[in-house]
Amino acid sequence: MERTVAVVPEAGLHARPASKFVQTVNQYDATVTVGRADDGDDGMVDANSMLAVTGLNVEHGESVRIVAEGADASEALDALETVLTTPVEEG
Amino acid sequence: MATFTGVGSTPLSGVGTARWFRPSALELPDRPDPATVDSAAERDRFEDARDAARAAIREARDRAAAAVGEDEAAVFEAHEQFLDDPQLVGAIEESIDDGTPAEHAVADAYADAIAQFEGMEGRMAERADDLRDVRDRLLRELLDVDSVDLGSLPEGTVLLADRLTPSDTAGLDPDAVAGVATVTGGRTSHAAIIARSLAIPAVVGVGEALTDVSDGATVLVDGEAGEVVVDPDAERRASVSGVDAPVVTEHVETADGRKIEVAANVGRPAELDPATARGADGIGLYRTEFLFLDRDTPPDEDEQFEAITDALAAFPDERVVVRTLDVGGDKQVPYLDLPDEPNPFLGRRGVRLSLGDHADLFETQLRALLKAAATDAGDDLAVMVPMVARVEEVEDVLSRVEAVAATLDAEGVDYAIPDLGAMVETPAASYVAGALADRLDFLSIGTNDLTQYVMAADRENDGVADLHDPLHPAVLRAIDRTVTAAHERGAWVGMCGEMAGDPDLTELLVGLGLDELSMSAVTVPAVKARIRETDSETAAALAREVLACETRSAVASRLD
Repeated sequence: MERTVAVVPEAGLHARPASKFVQTVNQYDATVTVGRADDGDDGMVDANSMLAVTGLNVEHGESVRIVAEGADASEALDALETVLTTPVEEG
Repeated sequence: MATFTGVGSTPLSGVGTARWFRPSALELPDRPDPATVDSAAERDRFEDARDAARAAIREARDRAAAAVGEDEAAVFEAHEQFLDDPQLVGAIEESIDDGTPAEHAVADAYADAIAQFEGMEGRMAERADDLRDVRDRLLRELLDVDSVDLGSLPEGTVLLADRLTPSDTAGLDPDAVAGVATVTGGRTSHAAIIARSLAIPAVVGVGEALTDVSDGATVLVDGEAGEVVVDPDAERRASVSGVDAPVVTEHVETADGRKIEVAANVGRPAELDPATARGADGIGLYRTEFLFLDRDTPPDEDEQFEAITDALAAFPDERVVVRTLDVGGDKQVPYLDLPDEPNPFLGRRGVRLSLGDHADLFETQLRALLKAAATDAGDDLAVMVPMVARVEEVEDVLSRVEAVAATLDAEGVDYAIPDLGAMVETPAASYVAGALADRLDFLSIGTNDLTQYVMAADRENDGVADLHDPLHPAVLRAIDRTVTAAHERGAWVGMCGEMAGDPDLTELLVGLGLDELSMSAVTVPAVKARIRETDSETAAALAREVLACETRSAVASRLD
């Protein structure tokens, strides 16, 4: 199961949004990977790793592909989409 | 007098005595023969170090949340995620199982991760600082090295460092530290952001030249100019007095005796102390959005009541103006299901939502406010609603206040009706300001939005930044119209936009007749100093001349 989402927070997939993203992944049993939408299967990394997720260097406005496998995959995707489409109040 | 240039990251200045921060070197012992390493014992050491580091990170998080605010504390959540990162932990455990002692395994794994981030630009390079911070916590545990306590530096210290981690910075005591300067680092690093929130003057990224400054030297940190000056002369010291004007705790009046209140804009509880410390005469704008952000459900009545009474307690005998919930536009709250609109700034926001879809939230907020108004310090509570465009909205708000009062009365709960006001942010509100003032105790002009709406120029759009300027004649006339109309009806008028905190505009604003100016706490002392120098007759004459100007450039030349 997968979904492609444009990253709304101003900070991109860094800092707080990245932190929230990884926290959310860890709330579900599903195995989740994430990558830049344009990078294909080779660009996918483990979404439960802060190191890997921030290492993608995804900026605001870019699209990411999220793939989830497991019983609660669909709920996980919904929650992750919310994280990526919620603007973050700056300062 | 030697001057070094860097990047100003807190626009404040301070002078003090230089003191280099040299954290104890974390030197690793020689690597033993893998065959002699007890991998199971090393795994235990790593787990213990990780548990201790996690506890320390959580403690730092809580301290930063209390001292600085939840936003900046969030960096420590990222630290915890790095600490428990499955890739890092996996690499370390694998290396330990191959016969590497825990400290070397940690150093190796983090070195690889840091190298990956350091090769990148900007924000990514700053994540390398976060990783170093986490690594050093682990190594200190494994090597049993104490960290340096930055929380007990002597007063008047200018802290110099190669770099500061977020943990280092969050531990600084803003009363003791006169300034911070670092060799590396950027304006958006977490350390810089935390220093800014603590109002510590800071210049980052000065470069290797900074290492020429010796311990004990007198150093000026000018965060506005981005300069570090060694042995500053008297003139240079005096020149930093712009925002460093002495704090005046009492109310001030103009040279000819007209009282003007100088209040602070406050966006979260952590800003209350800095506001009192800078001598604010109460709060002119207490934004309540912080109560609603970063959570999954709205705050209940008790939580809101507590937040309001905390603010009142911080300013006994001073007015606290609470703005009711102002979401919509650029301010989104996920669980509120705000409308998705093509033109959110011209859509449902502020009072439009409070009287519509969010009537229930508004009622809860009013209950908390009316109950807070009945507490000991509650006499000084005032409440204002944002985004008013019609007199009907104010009438509707007033009838809801009465309905809430009647309900509380029936429930036998103590309540009082606070002073009520409206924000003037729309051209519509400035046109009907007299009618609004007839029904209310006060008006407060929000110049950021008023400018945006009068000039039809998006405040976030750099392409129209020249239009988004409150000194355009149209905006000044809207302000003048509002003040005049309100005074005719016996209401007082404040201003709570950025404009109010610019000391160079204080004389003009006094001349326009404002009774209260509310601003970031940091500029309160400078504005109070300007008010004392101002003669209200001269100021009024200046305002008349400026109001007669037909162009922005004519306004500029009048103000020079």
